[in-house]
Amino acid sequence: MSHDDTTPKENPMSRWPDWQLTRRQMMQGLGAAGLSLPSLAAFLEACGGESTPAVTTLSKDTTGSITIWGWKDSLNALKLVDGDFSAAFPKITFKYVERPPAETYRNIQLAIAAGSGAPDVALIEDSHLPQYVNLGALADITDWVKPYVPKIVNYKWAWTKKSDRYYAMPWDPGPVAVFYRRDVFQKAGVDPNSIQTWDDFYQAAKTIKQKTGAFMWQQARARNDGRLFETLLWQRGTGYIDKSGNVILDKDSKVQQTLEYIGRFWADGLAADQEPWTDPWYKGQSGGTTATVVEAVWMGTFFKSFIAPKASGSWGVFLLPTWESGGSRASNDGGSVLAIFDQSTQKNAARAYVEFHLGRDQSQLLMYQKTDIFPSLKPAFADPFFQEADPYFGDQKVRTLFAEVAAKIPDAGIYSTDYQQMNSLATPEIQKFALGQQSAQQALANAARLIRERTHRS
Amino acid sequence: MSEDELALPSSAWRQALWRGRWPLVFISPFFILFAVFNVYPIAFSFWLSLHDWPGLGPMDFVGLTNYVELSHDTIFWNSMLNAALLFFIYVPVMTFLAVVIAAVLNSRFLKLQGLWRALIFVPNITSMVAAGYTFRLILDKDSGALNHALAFVHVSAVPWLDDVWWARISLGLLMVWAWLGYNTVLMLGGLQTIPPELVEAAKVDGATAIQAFRRITVPLLRPMIVFSVTISIIGTFSMFTEPYILTRGGPIRATETPVYQIFTTTFQDLRFGYAAAESYVYFAIIVAVTLFQFWSISRRDPVH
Repeated sequence: MSHDDTTPKENPMSRWPDWQLTRRQMMQGLGAAGLSLPSLAAFLEACGGESTPAVTTLSKDTTGSITIWGWKDSLNALKLVDGDFSAAFPKITFKYVERPPAETYRNIQLAIAAGSGAPDVALIEDSHLPQYVNLGALADITDWVKPYVPKIVNYKWAWTKKSDRYYAMPWDPGPVAVFYRRDVFQKAGVDPNSIQTWDDFYQAAKTIKQKTGAFMWQQARARNDGRLFETLLWQRGTGYIDKSGNVILDKDSKVQQTLEYIGRFWADGLAADQEPWTDPWYKGQSGGTTATVVEAVWMGTFFKSFIAPKASGSWGVFLLPTWESGGSRASNDGGSVLAIFDQSTQKNAARAYVEFHLGRDQSQLLMYQKTDIFPSLKPAFADPFFQEADPYFGDQKVRTLFAEVAAKIPDAGIYSTDYQQMNSLATPEIQKFALGQQSAQQALANAARLIRERTHRS
Repeated sequence: MSEDELALPSSAWRQALWRGRWPLVFISPFFILFAVFNVYPIAFSFWLSLHDWPGLGPMDFVGLTNYVELSHDTIFWNSMLNAALLFFIYVPVMTFLAVVIAAVLNSRFLKLQGLWRALIFVPNITSMVAAGYTFRLILDKDSGALNHALAFVHVSAVPWLDDVWWARISLGLLMVWAWLGYNTVLMLGGLQTIPPELVEAAKVDGATAIQAFRRITVPLLRPMIVFSVTISIIGTFSMFTEPYILTRGGPIRATETPVYQIFTTTFQDLRFGYAAAESYVYFAIIVAVTLFQFWSISRRDPVH
């Protein structure tokens, strides 16, 4: 899961309902879900074959005591697997330190600079990962993580590597689609299936505004965070930088086209000016005054849990419209990994923890079923659970839709060693554009110049 | 230490030290802590400012490169400008209000003095994070209570946090709210050092209350006002929590202060050396401004 963290926004995860399940509750939940986890013995036997090197290469006598840092909702997901983990590795003890993302990163930073105090394992968002990989703060896990490479959606590995060595184990991807209000679309007489291109989307926005008064999406002007802009660039396989790391904001015409496209919604009064992750923003989504949210799969979790728990049945999902015919319909926003720190003296136990929680289809599936954190292990997508209808989304089979997107996410120059910096240099320029104080071209030229100056890229 | 003592021969020095050993032992904790937690970091920061360092691995000596880059860093100088603008937006208002409220609180005719004094000071001991979030809610352009109240009296909605200038004013409002009580207490302390006979004498000579306040109380309060303005200068340039919570430094970097910038350079950009250089330049400027302020005010100070 992920959300903006470049500026210290109020953390939506902290609003997560407090459901740290006890083991018994968890097993009951599993029973209710029609699942049963194999007993340890059966599990060990089953692992003799193909799927899980986790338990085959590490002895169940592995000892150690580890600390895991992360934020609430993701830790709650990991905790679902703890019972089985403890059964498989009874000699490993572990504890969690729960802080909002920004605080987690700050503490990691301090521990790295101080040379001690880092956790054994930490949850890191893909957007922050390259910085730590580049810094050399993470343990090289190439030796044991290699077998997982073909099993996990490919694009997730991009940020875990440096010179062909691996430094993190991917967890959730952030496949993006359009969440839409069925009731608003119906009232406006717009068929979501008719929206194939972004131009169709814009025309639909006008119709919806005219017929229902609802805004197509919520995009802050003065408090814009650049996330939608990045998501749309990602869909087009472009971004801040190209493959060799050169800034292309002002060079790729697709970038300007994208920003201008977003600008039309402001200019024509089709976007609600609300800062993301604030109460008015949540209200815009729960109250049906906004027709769509272009966001990653984890947005669904927030709808169900605290943004619009009562709106069950009124949301649906469709694939991103295309920019050109036959173009990509997939993008990414957010996503995270578990990484082991170089400072850790408990690397074996840490490895057992990471492999057990993220390397097993059962673990990732269980976490997905209970908390909607999307799996990245491809074999998990074959589970019947993906074929089930989701009542919250009007019995639509949204899981297969997102699995399809996850498999097709293009490479793009968004996340990099200095993504945070590039985002924070670009957003004020986008804000200025949104407020009508400069053209898209000027905004991108300024952003590109600042990024070149401050990151010493060419 | 006087010059006589410095002139002592070294044996006498040693004797003096020995004689004062117990007092020295007793005051040493302060100096030890000060050395470890202040002197060392300050010295280390300077050393750091001559290097490139991402927070891990070897430091790369770069000489004065960071300072050269800083000299034309528009974002850093913009943060300095923001702090200066903020200072002029809220400090004069706050200082004026502090003097007036202190005078009222100091009045013999006011009932329940303790209660009012406590109330005015309460914001200062409130958590700034909580206060900042509350202000964010109140100042929201669509759902905020303030704009609802304004609509009630037919004033159109104000983009409190969505406009460069309004955001600065909003931040100023938060600062006044948080620091007015503290400054009022300072002024109150100043007022209580002024002998009441002076004002009484003026009144006997026919001065009105306002005249006495303007011509006698305020001039005598000047040292305290200077002190209060000085710490407000330092406070404004080193402001961090307030913009961090209220505006995130925006919109369009309008409320980024130097310390906010140093924080971002360190924890987001991982440029520890550059952030250290920023800290040094920022520190030098604060010292210069403070000295200038002392100098310009002491020239006109009737008391000294």
